[in-house]
Amino acid sequence: MTSFPNTGSGAMVRKVAQIVVENRGYLSEIDGKIGDGDHGNNMAKGFGRAAERIADDDTLDASFAILADVLMGEIGGSMGPLYGMFFSDMGDVVAGKDRIDALTFAAMLDAGCEGVMAIGSAKAGDKCLLDALVPAVAAAKANASLGFPAVLDAVRKAAAEGRDATKDMVAKIGRASRLGERSRGVLDAGATSCCLILTALADGIEPRLG
Amino acid sequence: MTDARPKRARVAKDGTAAEDGRAPLRFGDDPLLWAAWLYYEEGLTQSEIAAAMGISRPTVVAYLSEARDCGIVNISIAGDRLRALSLARQVAEHFGLRDCLVIPSDGGPRSLIERLGDAGAKALSWHLRSGDSVGIGWGRTTLAVAVAVPDLGLKDLRVVQATGGTTAAIPYTPEACATRLSEALSARMIPMSAPAIVSSGEMRDLLLQEPVLQEQMSELDRIDTIVFGVSSLRPNSTIHTSGFFAKALDQRDHYRDAVGSLAGRFIDVTGKPVIGSLENRTIGIELARLKTVRTRIGVSGGFDKVPAILAALRGGYINVLVTDAATAEGILRADGVEVRRQSLTRRPPSQPDRGKVAAAPGEVPQPDVKKLLNDPRDAVNESLEGALLAFPDHIRTIDGSVRAICRSRPAAPGKVGLVIGGGAGHEPLFLGYVGEGLADAVAVGNVFSAPPPDRIVRCTRQVSTGAGVLHVFGNYTGDLMNFEMAAEMAAAEGIDVRAVVTTDDVASSPASDRAARRGTAGNIFVFKIAGAACEMMLSLDECERIARKANACTYTMGVGLAPCSLPETRRPSFRLGPDEIEIGIGIHGEPGVVRSVAMSADDVADRIMDALIEDAGLDPGARVGILINSLGATPMMELGILNRRIRQRLEARDITTVRSWMGHYCTSLDMTGASISLVVLDEELETLLLRPCDGFGFRQG
Repeated sequence: MTSFPNTGSGAMVRKVAQIVVENRGYLSEIDGKIGDGDHGNNMAKGFGRAAERIADDDTLDASFAILADVLMGEIGGSMGPLYGMFFSDMGDVVAGKDRIDALTFAAMLDAGCEGVMAIGSAKAGDKCLLDALVPAVAAAKANASLGFPAVLDAVRKAAAEGRDATKDMVAKIGRASRLGERSRGVLDAGATSCCLILTALADGIEPRLG
Repeated sequence: MTDARPKRARVAKDGTAAEDGRAPLRFGDDPLLWAAWLYYEEGLTQSEIAAAMGISRPTVVAYLSEARDCGIVNISIAGDRLRALSLARQVAEHFGLRDCLVIPSDGGPRSLIERLGDAGAKALSWHLRSGDSVGIGWGRTTLAVAVAVPDLGLKDLRVVQATGGTTAAIPYTPEACATRLSEALSARMIPMSAPAIVSSGEMRDLLLQEPVLQEQMSELDRIDTIVFGVSSLRPNSTIHTSGFFAKALDQRDHYRDAVGSLAGRFIDVTGKPVIGSLENRTIGIELARLKTVRTRIGVSGGFDKVPAILAALRGGYINVLVTDAATAEGILRADGVEVRRQSLTRRPPSQPDRGKVAAAPGEVPQPDVKKLLNDPRDAVNESLEGALLAFPDHIRTIDGSVRAICRSRPAAPGKVGLVIGGGAGHEPLFLGYVGEGLADAVAVGNVFSAPPPDRIVRCTRQVSTGAGVLHVFGNYTGDLMNFEMAAEMAAAEGIDVRAVVTTDDVASSPASDRAARRGTAGNIFVFKIAGAACEMMLSLDECERIARKANACTYTMGVGLAPCSLPETRRPSFRLGPDEIEIGIGIHGEPGVVRSVAMSADDVADRIMDALIEDAGLDPGARVGILINSLGATPMMELGILNRRIRQRLEARDITTVRSWMGHYCTSLDMTGASISLVVLDEELETLLLRPCDGFGFRQG
């Protein structure tokens, strides 16, 4: 089964962080339509700071642990704890692993998703980051037996579809939920950043497969 | 632009049919302007412009050249552009710098060092303010900066020599650099009267006991800006020519892992200090202190310095980098970053990278909202710094961080601690309600964003005297998660923490689902009453019960007339039509129950009072406290008009207003609008509400 090495994943995680930083304006713009417009700024702050502390040859779990510490410890807001738990619980699954195969990858995403659900009170369908994450995890689990890279394609596709689906949803959680019907017609910023992260991660894993 | 016409006619005569390129009406009949606009402002390619204007590509080229010749387009390389180059922006983004200037690597007859000096002087002049204290290192490039700095007309500057002196065999000694800079800036110069390297550790310790040197060293604590070069460790590098390594062995034996040096100290690839034989013989600023200086301008270029500069960036010693293009590319590549190629013919995108609400089609783009800001990213910290200085009798930092604040006079031992907190942008909420008879500590987040748990834990620890700690905060997803995590962490340390979540905004959820309501200006009543309960030395159980009761008896509703804008975006956070108001608006601009056409103050007051009276089930004979609160931009004058009507309504219903408050208590940045809060009082709540308290945002005797 194809897999990628756990060590040397720092560069890949820094790349994910860089993509989040580059999309700061875009995420804030989406958030500004139904939220307070700071999603991109907060995400960029957290991921940017974490990237400075991650070394290229760090393992995936070490990189995720640094990311989780910065997001949870320094960012606050709701995205700090949510993404903090996401990365922290994903890191736990791959800790100590030499290589990461598709089954481990799916289990890792699953744990991250459980972490998010455990700390927040949201669920898929609420117009939140889970709307991208939950279908992506389901796709990873369903396609895990096919191995890499099939599972990566499935995750990217499911996350994008999940993100797009938030457009027609009415927010049930977070600040946008107070908007009711008026939150319809706009992408959810959290689902958009989640899709961005999952896609960047998949893109980063692909060339390292062997 | 006036001479554009004859020239345009000439273009047309060339047979390239200017008539065909019909520009849209808003550009009049001036295709030169139109073409130049599309090219320089919109960033279209020449082919795209040709297609858009219906003309041939050679015509576009001719138009653009004409536009430059006749002055429609002025091509000047403003200093600002050096930081806007995509390479500079990429370096700044990648390393999280405040600023980065990149100059061309090849630039005519002047040496790279001279040109770096010019750019470094520019960076210094942008970041320097009157009253600043500037530290300076030494070396060829640093001296070039000092030589290039013009008199900036700033007042009360100091220049501090950041290290001891070196061999006089070089012209770019620390003394020379500091002297040149202080002369250029008309600043007071503070020298360092000792060698940078002395013969032994004992000698250094002896020297450091000298009062003159002690006094000079203490100046290093005051610097807010520092300029320095980064030296490689090659044989003819500054660190060698300055005589640091008397014996070649020193470097080989003790500094094997060092890749560069700054301010006479050595760092490895990751930027960590390398402690070798010179460490206890060095006199000058220490790396740990250097890292805490507000503006740290590193000026360094040349391809051999890539590893050294990269290490300095990784270590966080530089937050303003001045370098040349080849070095900048080398640094990015060495750090595994794909370098974005920039088109040299095109102006960089004019949109700064800020989250902005895009103008809807057909809408005229609005200019940025004017605000008194420096770097918007520093807005919260700078605002807190100012508040701490304004109210030293009320608030102070817990451990030096402006985000964790406690009351200046400590509470009595055995008192239940009260910690409040939330996002910034609601001032004087939350820190104005810290003080005697109010909260004991406050954790402050980013604008409209909950504080992280670590900060809340520090507050909790600070105010814990063994009787337990009460957390009171508004009902928002982020606050709930962060306070919950903090409570768990504090519990693990043996602190009994109870959380009371405020839910006073009647517009945010029906009475049947009170727990889903958000916390707004009614917070003030809950803080006041809970603070009084704590101050009376009641038990944690009692304080918690009373805080819950106060919240259950508090009702708020707001009205928004115009949106607020965040410091980082400076754009309205929502849109209201020119004649629209939003009833029930939240304190982050969350929409309320209804958008209505603007109405009179009395109608607004009636509308809100109807809702509050019904929701609170206010019967004749009830006693209430009321708060008429500005959301930021609405003046006291209009609050008075609202209050007059509110009192008429309460009196007509035979409700007694025990006390009222009016002003800025819980704002939403610069939002125009107001909120009305009621707290329905029984004897217990009334007694607690009327007790004295002393926070800078809420004081009563």
